[in-house]
Amino acid sequence: MDLLALTADALREPWRLWTSHLVHFGWNHVLANTLALAVPAILVRRQDRGELLITAFLVMPLLSLLLLPGLGPSHYRGASGLACALWAWVGLRLAIRRESFSAGLALLGGLALKVTLEGAFGSSLMPSQQGWQSLPAAHVWGALLGLAASFQRLPGPEAVVPHRA
Amino acid sequence: MSRLHCSAFLGAALALISALGCNTPQTTTRRSSLMDYLYPKQQSAPVPNPAGARLKLPLKLGIAFVPGGSSAWRVQGLMAPGQEKQLLDVVKQSFRDKPWVADIKLVPSTYLRSGGGFENMDQVARMYGVDVMALVSVDQIQYTDPRWYSFTYLSIVGAYVLPGDANDTRTLIDAAVYDVTSHTFLLRAPGQSQTKGSSTWAHREVQLREHSAKGLQAAMTDLAKNLDAEVASFKAEIASGERKDVDVVDRQGVSLRQSGGQNFGGSFSWIEALGALLLLGAALKLRRV
Repeated sequence: MDLLALTADALREPWRLWTSHLVHFGWNHVLANTLALAVPAILVRRQDRGELLITAFLVMPLLSLLLLPGLGPSHYRGASGLACALWAWVGLRLAIRRESFSAGLALLGGLALKVTLEGAFGSSLMPSQQGWQSLPAAHVWGALLGLAASFQRLPGPEAVVPHRA
Repeated sequence: MSRLHCSAFLGAALALISALGCNTPQTTTRRSSLMDYLYPKQQSAPVPNPAGARLKLPLKLGIAFVPGGSSAWRVQGLMAPGQEKQLLDVVKQSFRDKPWVADIKLVPSTYLRSGGGFENMDQVARMYGVDVMALVSVDQIQYTDPRWYSFTYLSIVGAYVLPGDANDTRTLIDAAVYDVTSHTFLLRAPGQSQTKGSSTWAHREVQLREHSAKGLQAAMTDLAKNLDAEVASFKAEIASGERKDVDVVDRQGVSLRQSGGQNFGGSFSWIEALGALLLLGAALKLRRV
């Protein structure tokens, strides 16, 4: 599994930029992150699903590259940074549409709350794990990347405000 | 039948009956000692290198059975030809994918001299180009106890039909890992097994040999599992600074003692995951409305 985690070796072994978001430290870790990923995957509009997949594929290496300088000799595993990116991306996409404004706002609000609390209290809010600790920077960078990716292709005003008969 | 033949037959029958009648508990011990190999009695133990060990990852690991007593381990008759490699392969397979291992070399016990000490270990390590050596010693005891109905062996037929022997094989394998350059002891791990069975008098030796082989295999599997746990504990001890005589340097040249061995994970807590599910439910409800 360590061949897939994010380490300084990722510059020589580039697959780690993607695979580090797929490997975890245990079943608890996998399950919690899968639940987090399921939320945007379910809420995203059907026509945006393909774009969501492409966004996830592009966000993974970018997020890894942003995390690399702070890792030092340690390694990183987990999908929560990616989950934060998808929450931001889907949240913004939903929030700009009147019919899904509340759902989008709830996603963005939930994400903002998580990032703010972690920023204020560090990873001390997270349950203690054997041999590893949570990395709040991954969530902040993930959220920012998700927002940036969403801004790239926001729909025009005609899509934002539905026509009335 | 002549009188001579008759006497010979009678004598043989009496000898067999008396042999069967003396069916007493029997214990067989096979042992190879790490201490006898590394610190033979005529030598005092060498002083450890005060500089300690500095291991550079990934490691080249050699693994070998230490010779027992006055002869090479294999010669003692415990292992069938080829079994030594098969047993060492159990450990090799379980550590094959570990990122800290570059290569694992199986060293035949015939290359290790009885009482060879660190000098012999160094020779073998140089020959195989390994950084650390795992020396495996074995202690196997086989008990055979007669069951209450083993007196039926006196009938001769009973010795071939009734399983009147209770056989119990206990195996303890111990692996001690040493740094070749500094001769520093790094870690140890045990593996054990117990195999029980019943046999007839005639089948006793066959079963004991089978149990010996099975016991070694099971103990080796247990050893591989324990060794994995001991390596994790060893790493944690170095990272916490408990092991001042050892340091591990990773591929980037960073000392484990300095980095503290801390790793990071991106994670949602269970409270957050529960909150996310509630949020999902609410969002789906809003969408339907």
